[in-house]
Amino acid sequence: MRFEWFVASRYLRSRRKQSFISIISIISIGGVALGVATVILVIAVLNGVEHGLKDRFLANEAHVVLRLFGNDFFSNYQERVAQIEGMEEVVAASPVILSQVAVFPEHSETIQDVIYIKGIEPKQEDAVTGFSQFVNGSVDFKNSPLIKEAAFLRDETITGGIILGARLATRLGIAKGDVLRFVVKLVKHPIDEARLLPDLANFVVLGLYESEMAVYDNNFGFIHIDAAQALYKKANRVNTIFVRLKEAELASQVAARIEETVQFTVLEGMPTTTTWMETHAPLFSALRLEKIATVLIEALIILVAAFNIASTLIMTVMEKTKDVGTLRTLGASRGNIMSIFMIQGGVIGMLGMTLGTTLGIVLCWLLASNTVRPSYWFAFVLVVPILLQVVIALRRTLSLRGSLKFGLGLLWLVGIAFTLYCAVRPISLVELGLSHIYQMNQLPIKVSWFFVIFINVLSFLICWLATLYPAWQAANLKPVEALQHE
Amino acid sequence: MTKNALIRIVDLQKSYYDGETELPVLQGVNLEVYASEVLAVVGASGVGKSTLLHIIGTLDRPTAGRVFYEEHNVFDLPDRDVARFRNERIGFVFQFHHLLPEFTALENVAMGALITSPNSGAVYEKARELLDYVQLSERLEHYPSQLSGGERQRVAIARALINQPKVVLADEPTGNLDRRSSDSVLELLWNLNVKSGQTFIIVTHNQELAQRADRVVHLVDGKVV
Repeated sequence: MRFEWFVASRYLRSRRKQSFISIISIISIGGVALGVATVILVIAVLNGVEHGLKDRFLANEAHVVLRLFGNDFFSNYQERVAQIEGMEEVVAASPVILSQVAVFPEHSETIQDVIYIKGIEPKQEDAVTGFSQFVNGSVDFKNSPLIKEAAFLRDETITGGIILGARLATRLGIAKGDVLRFVVKLVKHPIDEARLLPDLANFVVLGLYESEMAVYDNNFGFIHIDAAQALYKKANRVNTIFVRLKEAELASQVAARIEETVQFTVLEGMPTTTTWMETHAPLFSALRLEKIATVLIEALIILVAAFNIASTLIMTVMEKTKDVGTLRTLGASRGNIMSIFMIQGGVIGMLGMTLGTTLGIVLCWLLASNTVRPSYWFAFVLVVPILLQVVIALRRTLSLRGSLKFGLGLLWLVGIAFTLYCAVRPISLVELGLSHIYQMNQLPIKVSWFFVIFINVLSFLICWLATLYPAWQAANLKPVEALQHE
Repeated sequence: MTKNALIRIVDLQKSYYDGETELPVLQGVNLEVYASEVLAVVGASGVGKSTLLHIIGTLDRPTAGRVFYEEHNVFDLPDRDVARFRNERIGFVFQFHHLLPEFTALENVAMGALITSPNSGAVYEKARELLDYVQLSERLEHYPSQLSGGERQRVAIARALINQPKVVLADEPTGNLDRRSSDSVLELLWNLNVKSGQTFIIVTHNQELAQRADRVVHLVDGKVV
């Protein structure tokens, strides 16, 4: 193979030795590099979004939700919670009353919204969804001074405290210490029995819940489980159990086991579970589809780069036809000739892949790293090599000695690297006004090493295939005709 | 003949095809070439001298007939072995030098041996000796474009000799050179023949060269007369 490497490496360089590698090789290498770098970057962003969302979901959401068909209430819930917590895959379980209620703030006389109410036992809920870490305010539903204060100021019966989703509170126009009225049910008018009156319950806003998960921040209110039970007259009963698992990814299997483990009587009804994956299935499948589409598109980009390699090689074969004839005369076999051109294509492909992988990973790192960068103005260091290059171009007589050329090349490299370092920064979703859609503050980046390897293997295969035809063409040149080729 | 033929050519035919039309070039060439002789092949242009040389050199396959090297029919061998055979046994010198432009004189000379030899150090040493022999020891690192016509042809001769082939095939080796270069190249060829006893088959128009050869064959109408 040494002979083939010797010839191929010489062909990769330019004939007059003015530039280290001929322009056409550089263009081909650049094509592959760009393709590989883009795919690594795009996949890293998609991956980052997926992981960011997942982390967020897993941080403040139950992994499995257990309820009965028809959302019926059931008793003995503490026993059942204990049963679930007894399972080795489970970290914690929390009994919850989940319902919807129409509300109006105290300054309004019409119903403003229908919100979800989660009646919780704060300690148990904390273990499952990390509830209190997202609350700005008190989670003492029963004894918060705000409750007594509100009752005293308004001279009204206050049922309890509520923690309200932050965005919901903004929408309703109420703040901490304000009262939110629930329409619990309708009762007959004490005198005129043909009329119905709403039965109201007053809750004082104790704090705001801000998890950056739009669903909760926009639609949920949290009250104490006892208050919820009283509200619905369901003493010692709940309608849902939220469960946190050790391995979130195993949710489906564990959910099935939970259904088996927790005993319900026939009268109570059939249990059913929902996993976090099922809840967010449309989102995750959309992300997966996006990834597949991206990989396909990127494969096409690399295919274009491979065509570039193929045409480079075909041109080389045409240019070197006479040389092929000479080499055959000297006793090189078809296999030798084929190897020479395949090595040439392979080297272009490998250099492109290495360069692309490095560039892709460096860009990912720059986009993800929050270190403070110098101002964009520092990017003007590029002016130095540009000026030098112009001077050299204008004074053609100035011959480029090896060391000078190397120095200039190094200057370019440092200049470009530094410019990239200055200019490529994390992309702020807040500034773009997208933070509430993606529920993240900056464009998330997570390099998937599996994909990095995958895309390299794929690119290598594509490039290798691209070399086959030109190499075969070169190998099958007839020696005599090749020698006479002009 | 008492001597055993090094190369025996039996009823060699070669035709080129232009669409349906057959253009016969060689029409039954019979020829024996003996070890250590200088054989000149002369004939009018287009009579098939070069074609004959290419077939003897295994660069082309005959339409019919056989070429025996020491009683082995080379065209029975698979392509890979033919290449190997050509590499080890045959040296070529063409009218045009056919040096590889990307490689130095030294590398061009070494090329033929680098194909098979794992020991490049020894190969370059040998190449250096050969270039010294053709009086180009000052030109080792020069590229073909930096050499004169005569120098290029001398490099080409050195290249043909790197694997010590039994047969050197030369196709109008001086056809493209001026008088002085031509003389020095011819002198070199003869010295080689005397020194190393290699067999030379030289296709030429050059009368002087033909007269100096041990034997001259005339190719007329695709046959040896």
